[in-house]
Amino acid sequence: MAVDAPAVPRTAAAIRPRRERDQELLVWPDLVFIEFIAATVFLLMFVILSTVLDAPLLNQANLDITPNPSKAAWYLVALQELLLHMHPALGGVIAPTFALGIIGAFPYIDRSNDGQGTWFGTSNAIKITLFAAAFASIFTVALILYDQGRHVNVVTSVAQEFDKDWQWPGKLSMFQNVRAIQTGWEWSIPVPESAQLGPGEHDGELNWPDDLSHVPMPFNGTSGPDWMRWGPPTFLPAWMQAMYWYDLNMNTPAFVVELFIPVAIMVLLPVIMILMLRRLGWVNNMRDGSIAIFTGMMSVYFILTIIGAGFRGAGQDLVLPWDVPHID
Amino acid sequence: MAVSEQPPGPGLTGWLSDKLFNNYIWRSIFRSGYPNTPRNQMLVVATNVFLHLHPTRLHKTHVRITHTYCLGGITFFFFLVLTVTGVMLMFYYVPAADRAFQDVAALETNIRFGMLMRNLHRWMAHGMVISVFLHMMRVFYTGSYKPPREFNWLVGVILLTLTLALSFTGYLLPWDQLSIWAVTVGMNMAGTVPVMGEQSRFILLGGFEVGDAALIRFYTLHVIGLPILAAVFMAVHFWRIRRDGGLARPL
Ligand code: HEM
Repeated sequence: MAVDAPAVPRTAAAIRPRRERDQELLVWPDLVFIEFIAATVFLLMFVILSTVLDAPLLNQANLDITPNPSKAAWYLVALQELLLHMHPALGGVIAPTFALGIIGAFPYIDRSNDGQGTWFGTSNAIKITLFAAAFASIFTVALILYDQGRHVNVVTSVAQEFDKDWQWPGKLSMFQNVRAIQTGWEWSIPVPESAQLGPGEHDGELNWPDDLSHVPMPFNGTSGPDWMRWGPPTFLPAWMQAMYWYDLNMNTPAFVVELFIPVAIMVLLPVIMILMLRRLGWVNNMRDGSIAIFTGMMSVYFILTIIGAGFRGAGQDLVLPWDVPHID
Repeated sequence: MAVSEQPPGPGLTGWLSDKLFNNYIWRSIFRSGYPNTPRNQMLVVATNVFLHLHPTRLHKTHVRITHTYCLGGITFFFFLVLTVTGVMLMFYYVPAADRAFQDVAALETNIRFGMLMRNLHRWMAHGMVISVFLHMMRVFYTGSYKPPREFNWLVGVILLTLTLALSFTGYLLPWDQLSIWAVTVGMNMAGTVPVMGEQSRFILLGGFEVGDAALIRFYTLHVIGLPILAAVFMAVHFWRIRRDGGLARPL
């Protein structure tokens, strides 16, 4: 392994001719001058900005008055947007942590030296970047619109042009938004009564969502055959007790809606994108793949930020930017 | 060290610069003369603690603006100015729930240039978050994380996190409705982490909601804890750029 991943590959350093003095400039004055100009320009720009535009100061903090909407700082608004569509731990912490981990891992995934120090170093890099940006942006917007049920509004208003009484069909109720899978959908299949465990009705039918909303986890100490029932593990220190899934029951429909579907989407869409790019013959190596994934992640972050900051009004409803209430 | 190698130029300017740069006091401070010969230009970079972050020479691709757009440098410059304006703000600001808001409001009404300092600090903080993102993107799209710069990319990711943390902790300090609710929203996210969430939220806030204890914690992190960490990692970042053979360029 050590041979595969040298921290400072000697080869890379050795390929380069020792020194090309004729290609080199002196730091003083060539670089120091540029740095000085850049610093001056930016300082001036910000001084001017600061004289014309005042930093906001609203009313004094008061936890009894909740502004509606209350928003995170703009660079965290993307995560706040995710919270609306999935389990808060997944959207607010786990997914972003993974994203940071993936960003940190790029140099360890894409280890070759080719194309370093050149903008868009591979032959398809620009095409890949544009494709990934478009792919990620379109799907992000589409998924948000879907989860807000905007397709229901559109289809309904079009259909009502022809038939005033048209309603979204009950058969498709689970496709109103993601949450509707849990709250707007009911089905049942016959099962032998003896197989029905748990607190639900033992009526010979397995009902979605009721019968599945309280599925005992294995070894939770309170369900299953007698030998699997035991008291709370009070002999453990408190912090260990807190981690033990004693009496834990899974809300399967909520699990599907809040965790399974979001994770599946976040894993599958990038995979599909990479497969498409491979099919197109654009992605041929790790560098190309990394460009696609990085661009996709940046685009999703960008779109989420725009939508979260500019299009979320009172109650985090999707509204047009000029309808976002002004907070003071 | 270096003695004047260049005979004084003709005319008044020559005489003036000779008097200015070739005297005992100037030499006691800067060792080398005014950097107007290649030798002195290299010496000034090599012997000055601030300039010696740079190599004495660099490849000519690296002074092309379009290679880096100076984004890392601008981020660092923002950090420096934020330190200066931040210290100014500290003179007037007391991190206590019953005072903080008035102190910030007084910057506008009672303190000459107070609002300028606050505005500069605020806008540059936003600027730094934007420029660190753009810097990361330029490093990525130029493939400059490739070996041997893998670790410096990781240091960069840490710096990105620290920049966001600095901005987030600073957000609370004006103690207005914007700050307290933004931080409440942010901390509630932290609170949902399985196993560790509630505890880490409690530790960061020093309680169950954003109050006095949270303000003093955020303040301490914002003015000393995180800046020191960021400065240390920046030092590593810059050191590694030189150790890795300067900026990346085509092989
Ligand atoms: C506070 C934050 C940061 C500061 C002050 C900073 C500063 C700098 C500076 C001054 C350079 C020299 C070249 C240039 O100006 O572009 C540089 C290069 C570099 N930075 Fe950063 N940086 C920061 C954050 C980051 C981040 C977030 C990343 C990546 C995730 C990163 C990765 C790199 C790498 C790999 C190089 C070497 C580039 C090359 O060889 O061309 N840095 N940084």
